[in-house]
Amino acid sequence: MIGPSIVIKGEVTGEEDLLIQGRVEGRINLNGNQVSIGESGEVYADIQAKVIQINGKVTGDINGHEKVIISKSGNVHGNIVAPRVTLEDGAMFKGSIDMDPAVANAGRTTVAAHQPSQASTPQLKASGLDLKSV
Amino acid sequence: MSKLSTQTSKLLPLLFQHLDEERAVTVLHVGLALPETVEFFSNYRCKLHFIDVFPALPIIATEEPATTQAQQFRELLPFSSNTVFDICLFWDLFNFLDAEAIQALFTVMRPHLKKGTLAHAFSVHNRKAPQKNNFYGIQQLDALTVRDRQSTPHCYAPHSQRELTALLDDFRVERSVLLPDSRLELLLLKS
Repeated sequence: MIGPSIVIKGEVTGEEDLLIQGRVEGRINLNGNQVSIGESGEVYADIQAKVIQINGKVTGDINGHEKVIISKSGNVHGNIVAPRVTLEDGAMFKGSIDMDPAVANAGRTTVAAHQPSQASTPQLKASGLDLKSV
Repeated sequence: MSKLSTQTSKLLPLLFQHLDEERAVTVLHVGLALPETVEFFSNYRCKLHFIDVFPALPIIATEEPATTQAQQFRELLPFSSNTVFDICLFWDLFNFLDAEAIQALFTVMRPHLKKGTLAHAFSVHNRKAPQKNNFYGIQQLDALTVRDRQSTPHCYAPHSQRELTALLDDFRVERSVLLPDSRLELLLLKS
């Protein structure tokens, strides 16, 4: 987590989910993971991640490989590319949205086809584990 | 969020009738991005441009700083040069623009339109039709959601059908439907 008083300028990369309650300027690249921007979060950066949930403020372009969710407290100014985008009532958005439901459906099929049962893979909950290498 | 109601639309389905499923549809939505509109378009391969022009109204030439209406629209509608719209959802916009502003709008829009571009708009059958201070979303193929705007633009001056048809560049009115309160729903086709 990036706490409310933390300011980061530069590129954020990694292999685990990230919650941003502070301020990030630059670029965020967590391709296989989820990025959540909390209500106090302010991001002035392009974001790439598997799932992106926005409860705070984002100025920048957003690329969600699976989906992007802008919550009721979210405020986004930028362009979104994602197979699936959800805007909650009250969310503020200015920009463009590029969606392709065929990719979303194909993604769901692929995930369903390859997802092992939870009972057989409890270790996958470990932080930072690359699921694709399992 | 303001009070929500729904309104059926006979012309909205015609916008989606002949879409090429092999390629993404590019849509201009003049107004706020709403949950139901995004949900509706999530069934299509598409690129949606949401631009709410209403907070910038009235669009008038100013002396200090010196700006033309076309310059103001260029700032409001900063499309990349390769953006060409299949569908434009203008909703009530033309009722809040004077003749010069509509011409300026299409000066800016012209490079982003093509033969066959379809558009939806509301106009009036009678210029005394009362002002509707709404913004719109798409609930389903033949139904709109209607919400009240929190602030009222003070530049409501709807055009007669003849005036508007002359101002709409090379869009022609393909179909129109008379609505309550002397309003018209228009389907426009770029020839």
